[in-house]
Amino acid sequence: MTPSPDKGARRITRLALLTAIALTIFMVEAQIPVPIPIPGVKLGLANIITVYAVFVLSRRDALLILIVRVFLGSVFSGQMLMLLYSMGGGLLCWLALALLRGILSPREIWLASPVSAVCHNIGQLLVAAAVMKTWAVLAYLPYLLIAGVASGLFTGLCAQFLIQRLGRIPPSK
Amino acid sequence: MSKYGKGVAALLILAVAASAGWVWFNGHSAPGQILEIYQNGQLVETVNLTQSGQPQTIVLEGDNGAENTVLIQDGQVCMSHATCPDQVCVNQGWISDSAVPIVCLPNQVILQIKGGGGTLDAIAG
Repeated sequence: MTPSPDKGARRITRLALLTAIALTIFMVEAQIPVPIPIPGVKLGLANIITVYAVFVLSRRDALLILIVRVFLGSVFSGQMLMLLYSMGGGLLCWLALALLRGILSPREIWLASPVSAVCHNIGQLLVAAAVMKTWAVLAYLPYLLIAGVASGLFTGLCAQFLIQRLGRIPPSK
Repeated sequence: MSKYGKGVAALLILAVAASAGWVWFNGHSAPGQILEIYQNGQLVETVNLTQSGQPQTIVLEGDNGAENTVLIQDGQVCMSHATCPDQVCVNQGWISDSAVPIVCLPNQVILQIKGGGGTLDAIAG
């Protein structure tokens, strides 16, 4: 299932490709209106790529993809203020996935995504609390937690199917 | 499923159940009396909601042309207009209790209602 570790140009190409895919998904999703008016609620489809990268590639490569995607996403959407929120959420999300990679079996990858989604929400809230200097934003936590688990299950199953299907494609020589 | 997988699943179910319970019991509290408006982390305005007979609008100007319009009517509060890109604060509609504040993340504005026996006062304080 796991491709042999890439080196040099091959690794760079793979990282660039995954970053481009994640950024595209991120930008397309930003155009979809969210029916629930609570800050931070979203599908988080780009997390599929993060989950894939953490479990199939390496923790380090996944972190590189995530940081570049979050940074470019903020640049392209013209919301540099959101960079702080996204980065706080993204880093905590990555941390959760990096820990879970060590303990979950290959068939349980889908379980990692809801945990990472909730961690993403918690990270965002902590940054918001720091920026606005108030804990009042934590009132959103229970709502974000339910939404995060629901959307995380969806993206997690997407990642699980993706990893299993891609594993059947023989690597090109 | 491995024991870790089961543990993670149990943790998720527990977290969702706790959140659902929290939302169920605290989602609607008694109407609050005091509206506090925070901008960039500072309290800029306090409005007594019990005295607001006439509809009242408060315009908050922020950095880089950011602007938020707060509408107060019949003890309720909403963000009627905002220059932020996502418009989450506007779409949230009216609030009248301390259960959930209206937050405009991009423009760093918070509309928080206090009083009325809301359980979040201790946290928000």
